[in-house]
Amino acid sequence: MQVSANNSLLVLDGVSKAWPGVKALQDVRLELFPGEIHALIGENGAGKSTLLKILFGVHQADTGTLHIEGKPVKLAGPGEAIANGISMVHQELSLVPQLNSIQNIVLGRERSVAGFIDWADARKQALVALNRLNFTADPNVSVRRLSIGQQQLVELARALAYDAKVIIMDEPTASLSGHESEKLFEILKDLRSSGHAIVYVSHRLAEVFTLADRATVLRDGKLIGTVLRGKELTEKSLVRMMVGRGLDDHTTLPHTPPGEIMLQVDGLSRHNDFQNVSFDVRRGEIVGMAGMIGAGRTEVARCIAGADVMDAGKIHVRGKQQKFKSPADSVKAGIAFLTEDRKHQGLALRMSLAKNITLPAPPTWLSFINRRKQNDSAKSALEKASSKVNVSRRAGTLSGGNQQKVVLAKWLLTKSEIFIFDEPTRGIDVGAKAEIYALMRELTDQGAAILMISSEMPELLRMSDRIVVMREGKKVAEMKRAEASEELVVAWATGANS
Amino acid sequence: MTNTAQDEVIDQTRLQTTSKASRFKRIFAEWPEFGILAALVVTVLCFSLIDPAFFSGYNFINICLQASVTAILAMAQTTVIITAGIDLSIGSAVALTAIVSAMLMKVGMPIPIAMLGALAAGALAGLFNGLIITTTGITPFVVTLGTMSVFSGLALIIANGQTVYGLPPMFSDVLAGKIGFVPIPIIIALAVLTILSIMLRSTKLGEYLIAIGGAREVARLAGIKVAIYTAAAYVIASTLASIAAMITVARLGAADPIIGADLLLPSVAASVMGGADLMGGKGSMLGAVFGALLIATLQAGLTFLNVQAFYQQLAIGIVIILALLFNRLQEY
Repeated sequence: MQVSANNSLLVLDGVSKAWPGVKALQDVRLELFPGEIHALIGENGAGKSTLLKILFGVHQADTGTLHIEGKPVKLAGPGEAIANGISMVHQELSLVPQLNSIQNIVLGRERSVAGFIDWADARKQALVALNRLNFTADPNVSVRRLSIGQQQLVELARALAYDAKVIIMDEPTASLSGHESEKLFEILKDLRSSGHAIVYVSHRLAEVFTLADRATVLRDGKLIGTVLRGKELTEKSLVRMMVGRGLDDHTTLPHTPPGEIMLQVDGLSRHNDFQNVSFDVRRGEIVGMAGMIGAGRTEVARCIAGADVMDAGKIHVRGKQQKFKSPADSVKAGIAFLTEDRKHQGLALRMSLAKNITLPAPPTWLSFINRRKQNDSAKSALEKASSKVNVSRRAGTLSGGNQQKVVLAKWLLTKSEIFIFDEPTRGIDVGAKAEIYALMRELTDQGAAILMISSEMPELLRMSDRIVVMREGKKVAEMKRAEASEELVVAWATGANS
Repeated sequence: MTNTAQDEVIDQTRLQTTSKASRFKRIFAEWPEFGILAALVVTVLCFSLIDPAFFSGYNFINICLQASVTAILAMAQTTVIITAGIDLSIGSAVALTAIVSAMLMKVGMPIPIAMLGALAAGALAGLFNGLIITTTGITPFVVTLGTMSVFSGLALIIANGQTVYGLPPMFSDVLAGKIGFVPIPIIIALAVLTILSIMLRSTKLGEYLIAIGGAREVARLAGIKVAIYTAAAYVIASTLASIAAMITVARLGAADPIIGADLLLPSVAASVMGGADLMGGKGSMLGAVFGALLIATLQAGLTFLNVQAFYQQLAIGIVIILALLFNRLQEY
């Protein structure tokens, strides 16, 4: 890769952007070369999204210049960005679910004759792009029936069909399984070798090392630096650049040996989702649940939490058999379910933190809510979850880390003893992650039992006292902390050793 | 702690921002009824400027009296809209319960029994709506579209298609009478406003209705019995419809089985103008009452200025859309 100012594909320079009262970006520079994968990293709120949105023309910078292939360019909107060869694959995919892949790819640019779309031409264009990406699914089915990984390929194909030279990807692997991520990486490398520049945002540092040629680190809206692949690009150096300090190893060991069985699951089955799943979780223990997306882990958790109804099997809580017809039953039995999707399943975004935290059981007198008591108990629960945010704020205004703490505070108040965490740190930045881990270990040290579903290998290996691996709806392995390794877990989860 | 620190910074800058736009926004955030109240005041002032005779206590009491039925129905509608639902059958429920109360009196039942009968019929109608919606999962819009026809059909069958006359004068004397100079329907509407506002603001029921409307899955996973609370909203709505029905019967001295046809639109319009969000999770009883007052003021004012009925309908529709536009602006 050549590093000279002359052949850079795109240069953003001196970019600043202020929102009322907040400086989102200050004097940031981003330079892209043809044929590079450029990682953009930083904690939540560091300004990554703002920078991407300026690059894609969604926001306009207060100051700063943009040059594409040496020519100054002003982007008044995403349409102009696309016209200048910049495309974006959004974190929450922006496809029309009811349309098929071909329709989605040509959407908005269909060639038409007297108002009739030239489908033969559309098909030809779309298939060229899809074939380049090794897209194997049927392009004629509506995209909502495709997996997330396949949908992402459709978005990428749309970018290619736009003749994009710069492709912006915002956390592309956040909802992909390990296998799907690998496939995506191959495709990105292929695009790199054909001269595209890819801007890539990710919270998974491991990916950055395998993929990126260079990484630009932002912190608090300021450019901390751009580092080249090689010596500078190590986890420790990046984390230090992101948070401004080093991070200790997340590994936390339990202070007490595991106690009696708190949750026992025998032969749990639910028609298409999973079959004959059995395991237990003891007091003081974190049991990790590994597996690819679609292995049925969340579905098992939903049955244990009463959110879905199981077809067969038995659930014992503290030795007592339970039949959960609704979450109300499992909440009563002391089970707390912290869902992966906090925005839709964990928090009522418009309601205050106090109301969210006391939702399972607001303090009442003759059904009238005691607001002062509600505020006080919400505040103390939130402090236990190590957050000091004002409880009168609305849940929707918080960052991911604080939202997770609010959900945790809610379940601390119900005196739950069994916690099911589904992807506890998804979308949460490095600093807040460590806090969530510490809180989880604190819970087990105080006698709780935790079942933790996670797709992040370091998280599973560092946090779990035991690991249960699922594949295609079945439990395929169970191992103790000492026996577990990344290779072994991945081998079981992908079926590589069966 | 970096996160918390960052959130706090945003929090403080929010408090410190003092530009006019954001101060305006904060008034809205703390007092969502502000917009509809402003619209109401402006409307009253406009009519009063055009014709100073409009500005009289007698006229205002009359407008409040005219608005009382719409206000009760708008509050009923708000209860349902907050849960992300809608009750299209509310006008038909008024017709049905009006006929039930009138027929009970006609066959010689004492007035209190007839009133209880109407309340029970309303509660049953709401339970019917609520059970279908919560057990089948069919959207409230479609279910209540069906029961709109069912209730209205039942009303016509029971009344044999005829207006029911010859009710005991005592009924009208009480429900359409006055205490001092205040008509009783206004007092009933104010009582409903007080009770429902307290329900929404300070009880578990109210908190759960808002949570269900704003984030149904969050509420369900928190262990809330979503079906029961959702059904309760429809029971409350139809029971309130029966109260509105009895006021109407008392004022007319008769019960007409097609009485409810014109009541649905104002109930939804007043509720939404008052700040209720059709997506659920948000709504104000006081706002709904202001909305009903705005509609009644327009009707009274335009009549006062001798505007033809056809033009009145046109004008009211335009004002409703303007008010909703205004509400929409405050969100940005």
